[in-house]
Amino acid sequence: MKVQIVNLKKHFGATRAVDDVSFSFSSGQVVGFVGPNGAGKTTTMRILATLDEPTAGDALIDGVSVVEEPERARHLVGYVPDSLPTHRDMSVHEYLDFFARAYSLKGLHRAKVIESVEEFTGLTGLRDKMLVALSKGMKQRVSLARALLHDPAVLVMDEPAAGLDPRARIELRELLRVLSSQGKAILISSHILTELAEICHAAVIIERGSVLMAGAIGDLLENGASRRTVLIRVRDGMERLHRELLETPRIEKVNVVGEEIAAEINGDEEDCCDLLTGLVGRGYRVVEFKLQRANLEEIFMNVTKGAVQ
Amino acid sequence: MTAESVLKEKVSLGDRVNPIVVKELRQAVQSRFVIAALLTLLLVQLVAIGIYILASGPSLFGFDAGRQSFLMLFGILQVVAIIFVPLYTGARLAAERSDINVDLLFITTIKPRSVIAGKMFAAITLTALIYSACMPFMAFTYFLRGIDLPSIFMSLGIGFVVVVACAQGAVFVALIPVNRAFKIIFALISLAVFGLIYFWTMFGVSVVVSRGLGRDFWQALTTMYVVICFMVGLFFVMSVALIMPAASNRALPVRLFITSAWLLTGVAAVIGGSIEKDHWPVMVWLLMFEIVFALAIFAAVSERDQPGRRVLRSVPRSLLGRARAFFFFSGAAGGLAWASVMVVLTLGAVDACVDLFPTHRNANDLINSEKWMGGMCLYFFCYATTGALLRRHLFSRVGTELTWLIGAILLAVGSLAPFLIGYIMFFNDQWWSDDLGAWWVGNPFAWSNKAHRVLYASVGGVWAMLVAVMNLPWFIDRCEGFKAQRVAASDAIESVPRAVASGSPSATD
Repeated sequence: MKVQIVNLKKHFGATRAVDDVSFSFSSGQVVGFVGPNGAGKTTTMRILATLDEPTAGDALIDGVSVVEEPERARHLVGYVPDSLPTHRDMSVHEYLDFFARAYSLKGLHRAKVIESVEEFTGLTGLRDKMLVALSKGMKQRVSLARALLHDPAVLVMDEPAAGLDPRARIELRELLRVLSSQGKAILISSHILTELAEICHAAVIIERGSVLMAGAIGDLLENGASRRTVLIRVRDGMERLHRELLETPRIEKVNVVGEEIAAEINGDEEDCCDLLTGLVGRGYRVVEFKLQRANLEEIFMNVTKGAVQ
Repeated sequence: MTAESVLKEKVSLGDRVNPIVVKELRQAVQSRFVIAALLTLLLVQLVAIGIYILASGPSLFGFDAGRQSFLMLFGILQVVAIIFVPLYTGARLAAERSDINVDLLFITTIKPRSVIAGKMFAAITLTALIYSACMPFMAFTYFLRGIDLPSIFMSLGIGFVVVVACAQGAVFVALIPVNRAFKIIFALISLAVFGLIYFWTMFGVSVVVSRGLGRDFWQALTTMYVVICFMVGLFFVMSVALIMPAASNRALPVRLFITSAWLLTGVAAVIGGSIEKDHWPVMVWLLMFEIVFALAIFAAVSERDQPGRRVLRSVPRSLLGRARAFFFFSGAAGGLAWASVMVVLTLGAVDACVDLFPTHRNANDLINSEKWMGGMCLYFFCYATTGALLRRHLFSRVGTELTWLIGAILLAVGSLAPFLIGYIMFFNDQWWSDDLGAWWVGNPFAWSNKAHRVLYASVGGVWAMLVAVMNLPWFIDRCEGFKAQRVAASDAIESVPRAVASGSPSATD
């Protein structure tokens, strides 16, 4: 099962909210959709969920076009919006029961599905509570439960962790891991990039409606950062090393951190190898030489300009 | 019967109920607003009947007390029901489907028809709840003399149907895809229309309770029910079309419904006219459908210019099938052709009817109405197609869906400008005489002025010819493009986007 977003465009008057966005992902993958506010994440997700229509382009879920056959696509997608359910005069169970009916689940099967979804999302004890009386975290669970009722192959989640306390965020992460292991393709947007890096297999960075960078998390971390930080510890001569490193070409910054020296290299892995060879050649007894990987936050800051439309 | 079979039957019965109805009624019975509104209505009815009894004195024992008190209570019930039910139904739906927020209900797998049917059934149930709560007060008026039970039930039946029709109208208005400002304007216009309908209903009911159920009453009632059924059906199919996916064949159910209703009611009107030896049923039919087709011309030019791949995939391959589909499938050119042909067919049918039954009463009125309606449709055609022409060539940045607005602005300007120019230039004491009615040229609604019809027709005819010729290349192009396509969406994608993560999902583990 593959999700393909193909040359997607959405214009609101002169504003190009989404401008020629293309990427794809498959079953079992969790893809982080990252970008500053107003980058076009929500618009892309709403189009994928068949809530909006694109100005041009298409999105295919298992070959089914969300533009031409939204009715068929709706069987395949579960959408968790950034806004939480606000239906008045309805309990959690009534809300889920309504959506289960709307997805044509019938009889005892419907009752079983609702029960299992309530159990999976930890809502069993809250089923008779009114929706308006729930906390933000609980409403988020209700929203996820609703999206799971028809067992969709694709989950589109817009800022599901926004406003959640640390415990709720950890629980959400666990739920996503389980869903991913069940073979669901998950597209998730979030501003909490460190968490995304932990749960996502891939990420798409978007700004001003255009994709800036996309790929597997490992590749992004490997290739995304222009500078690399190396932690060096030598047996003797820390001060001399500090001086020499400052004079070494391609090394832009040197800091002493406890017993280690952190050197920022403007280059690739090849330059790191050259540095280590040089140190050994000059007689340094190297105890530790560790390449510190960039994190998603750094990559995000490097590639985006924070521009809004 | 075992407990298991009883449970199964109960479950299957529950499954057959529309989910929207279940949700709406669950919310309504738990809503403080609905309960407060219902209790207030009952309290007002109680206070009103109490004051009436106390203030009537000896006249309470006269022959008119029941009739008067019934009309008073019915007036209160109807004003509340005709405002509350459509407003409650329409406002909720508008909030669920506003231009900035669409309720998640609309991305479930529920069918658009079920959504509208559910909303309507919930509105009907709410109306029934209000009416049944007020029923004891209405029945009480029977004991005050001057009114009989059939009149009471007939009046309540009329009121009930009118409220349901208004609710269906409100559902349609709530779904019109415009921004909030336009929605408020449309809601206010609807409220004004509901106000007019309220006064007509009160007039009709006062006739029922004062004159009884005579032959004239049944004729008027039958006509009213036919018109209401048609309007409810039309608003229903149009509401369904509005929430169908844009890529689907939205126009098909609407045009099929109108054409079927046109045919059925047309045959019924001719038969009814033959029995009555009167042309009035045909006249009602003519007025009703020519207004619908005139508006359909405006709607047609606002449709998608090019039918999408999904519509074209269902175009038949045979020439006859393709020609038939062109008229009924979504698309501006086909819609314009369908509405224009229907206008001409209606006028032709009326002509044939007059020729076939020259001795029936009201023949002259029918011919007069035919000319009036024909002229009105001619001008509507001119304004709509001129609007479409301007949008394509001058305002190409304006979306096709707003072509009606350009046409409507032209219509407003064209209807008033000649008259205002004439007024400014030539005002004198004779201004309001019929002789100066020529200045209303360009106004589609001025065709009732018989003295200047030749002028109106000449201007309209030349204009229609010109604008039709100018639109002809576009029309031919759309006809030629209306061919069966068998390309699936996935096949039409030329470039396959790069996968963001290749291989197994555990690539980053």
